[in-house]
Amino acid sequence: MSAAPGEPPTGTVVDLTAAPEVAAAEVPPEILAESLGQYLRGWLLRVRGGNSGVLPVVLAIVVVAVSFQIANPKYLSPQNLVNLFEQSTVYMVLAMAEIFALLLGEIDLSVGLVMGLSAVVVAELVQPIGWGWPWWAAIIVALLFCSVVGLIQGTLVARLKMPSFIVTLGGLLILEGAAILVLGGTLVGIGNSRFTNEVVLYDIFWGRFAPVVGWVVLAVLVGTAGTVLWLRDARRRRDGLAAPPPSLTAMKIVLMTAAGIAVVAICNVNRAHYGTIEGVPYIIPIVLVVLGAWTVLLQRTRFGRYVYAIGGNPEAARRAGVSLPAVRTWGFVLAALTSGIAGVLFASWQVSLTTNIIKTANSYVLLAVAAAVIGGTSLFGGRGRTIHGVLGGLVIGGIYNGLYLLGVLSQWIDVVVAAVLLAAATIDVLSRRGAPRQS
Amino acid sequence: MGPDRGLPVTAVPGEDPTGAVEAKTVVDPTAAPEVAAAEVPPEILAQSLGQYLRGWWLRVRSGNSGVLPVVLAIVLVAVVFEIVTPEHAFLRPSNLVYIFGLSTVYMVLAMAEIVVLLLGEIDLSVGAVALVGGVIAFKLVQQPGPAWPWWAAILAALVCCGVIGALQGTLIARLKIPSFIVSLGGFLLFSGVLVIVLGGADGFVAVSSAVPNQSVIYYLVQGVIDPVAGWVALAVAVGAVGTTLWLRAASRRHQGLVAPPAGLTAIRIALVALIGVAVVMICTVNRGGGIVTVKGVPWVIPIVLVVLGAWTLLLQRSRFGRYVNAIGGNPEAARRAGVSLAAIRTWAFALCSATAGLGGILLGSFFYGQYSTNTQDPGQLVLYTVAAAVIGGTSLFGGRGKAIHGVLGGLLIGGIAYGVSLLELGELATPLEYIVPGGVLLAAVLVDVLSRRGARTGSVSRV
Repeated sequence: MSAAPGEPPTGTVVDLTAAPEVAAAEVPPEILAESLGQYLRGWLLRVRGGNSGVLPVVLAIVVVAVSFQIANPKYLSPQNLVNLFEQSTVYMVLAMAEIFALLLGEIDLSVGLVMGLSAVVVAELVQPIGWGWPWWAAIIVALLFCSVVGLIQGTLVARLKMPSFIVTLGGLLILEGAAILVLGGTLVGIGNSRFTNEVVLYDIFWGRFAPVVGWVVLAVLVGTAGTVLWLRDARRRRDGLAAPPPSLTAMKIVLMTAAGIAVVAICNVNRAHYGTIEGVPYIIPIVLVVLGAWTVLLQRTRFGRYVYAIGGNPEAARRAGVSLPAVRTWGFVLAALTSGIAGVLFASWQVSLTTNIIKTANSYVLLAVAAAVIGGTSLFGGRGRTIHGVLGGLVIGGIYNGLYLLGVLSQWIDVVVAAVLLAAATIDVLSRRGAPRQS
Repeated sequence: MGPDRGLPVTAVPGEDPTGAVEAKTVVDPTAAPEVAAAEVPPEILAQSLGQYLRGWWLRVRSGNSGVLPVVLAIVLVAVVFEIVTPEHAFLRPSNLVYIFGLSTVYMVLAMAEIVVLLLGEIDLSVGAVALVGGVIAFKLVQQPGPAWPWWAAILAALVCCGVIGALQGTLIARLKIPSFIVSLGGFLLFSGVLVIVLGGADGFVAVSSAVPNQSVIYYLVQGVIDPVAGWVALAVAVGAVGTTLWLRAASRRHQGLVAPPAGLTAIRIALVALIGVAVVMICTVNRGGGIVTVKGVPWVIPIVLVVLGAWTLLLQRSRFGRYVNAIGGNPEAARRAGVSLAAIRTWAFALCSATAGLGGILLGSFFYGQYSTNTQDPGQLVLYTVAAAVIGGTSLFGGRGKAIHGVLGGLLIGGIAYGVSLLELGELATPLEYIVPGGVLLAAVLVDVLSRRGARTGSVSRV
């Protein structure tokens, strides 16, 4: 018996991932696996056990890309791809907002209108003739507004035990009225020429890095993320804790770098008909920052662990001492805050906001829920990650973009998205059938 | 041997036992605290009108207030709007009849939604399905075109909507997808289908009062019954309802079964008569603008009463209705008792969507026989519907609700919606149209949740 802790006993190669309990257990194979081969086998077992993670959505992205490319060869052109990224960002951020509610086993139907209200508030506050506030103050105030809305809704749900879909349904109505009120019946526009504050807001969506700067930013980001990942896993291995196999960490870093290089390369291709438009749009790093922050919050903080606990089994969490009302309220605050961020992006994207646009903001909630579910988040709570929102948002954006390119009318696009949502929900339910947990 | 020689047992079943001269205690079964907590309506236990009222008051205080809040709310809304409306025009007969007409759409939709709410589910697609049903009916009577007879067009629309509901119900009942997701998807799907069936974003379909086949549909809401015929119909209706109620209570008393006190039945009949007389009187006042004479009860009012009667019978006095209430109260207990959860749930959603289709047809008729993509926002429609049902007294958690709640709630929502539009608020008008129903919905649900805190029934299972 000369094995050090963490090493298999000498003489035997124990494949901990091969046990059937692994598939049923929620333990990710990267904790138990000792080598890349074991990891892959454990991962496959989990997929077959119903916990397929991001696999379906990655397959969906491939299917969408291939189908639309066949239908229209311009689909995967750099110009269109950047367009697609840009349009998807709003869906991505809204989906990330919705995931906070879904993880708790609730739903937030007001995310679309919180986004709309935030957009209207931000746009009104930077108007040079009128409020004329600095852009950063306008954004902060808009986000504060949204947080307060989230606080009210969260309190109604968590402390007064009202069903979340009714609270957010009523909230949606009230916010629609409030947004129309703030808009004052007219149009508010965000120009891009003269006034600094307006220009900054405009640039959030439409601005971009110079190509060289894009590469530099990529190098910095990938360098930091890669180093952090490697050092963290190396330290765990050194301390004798369970750690992913080194080859797995290396593969993750390589994949990340490859994806980053692909994105920057696509964005740096000149996509203007006349003149030059090239470079990574500002919104891509913005969305990545939100993704990173929320991933850290959900995966590596106590709050995040409580969120998953409540989603998985509220009674168990309560008995373990988790304060259900506090965590639930914060969940709704974060959902509203993220919707507010989406609103800033939305305002910048739409450039001019009217009452009609507020009404269409309402339809975004369905897309947000669809994106989250397609990405792999479960409607029943307890299962989901922020990256699901990004991938699901990409699928929804891809479908929208593709159908629009094909000249399909918006009512048919609604039909398609509804069908996709129902399909994703069905898959979610059916995949839970195999799991031994209570539904 | 004969009976016990102690006290002469001469009581006939149903009467109080005679004897016990010194302590003439009148046993009041409704005074027991368990009665308040139990779901037994005091009319079964009460022996007199006084006991009934006491039992009812106990139930209200324990949280089971039934239609009391919505009735109070209707009175409140009427008073408030009468005060703030310019020229105090709110209670003018012409406005009241307009409110009746508008409310009938919400009433029918709310009655549809209540069947689903009773199960503890929700159907967010009622608005979109209603509009689709209306458009289907309108399209089928078009000339040139299909030119179906009006009854066939209406029937076809109802069947279509029923099939839609059955599809959603199957996904919910057999595949166990949460109802708000399926109906959310249905809402999006049928909003798109609506535009498709109308033939594009600027599509349009109308029924005209000139074409005899189409005029039937046009006059569903806009047409009136001749005043004399209205009074006759009222007399017949009140007479029939009153006689049925009285005879049923009397026969139960005669057979020695528990029956409501005679005074209660009399009060109920009197109330029905009173309301009927009031409605007919309001409708009989000439509300034309001085140029034409418009008077009489709109056809839609008896139509809605028929739907109310049918749904009340279905939910209160049929086996299906009992199963629906059972599933809503405690699905596991219902399952163990042998109720087929999947079948009942599917049928409930099918009925809900079919009734919603009827509401959609009425909506088109209310808007003077015109249907375009701008006629009504399906999202707003569903919010008003749920608000009407909950305000009327139906619980979101299932197990508690009656068809009459839909009628009362629909009246209230119609009154609020129209009242807000009557106030000349200029810029505030559009925002308030959203804020007021939202606020009312939240308030109603808050009352529902808080009132359940006192109850000991087990359907609120949130941790």
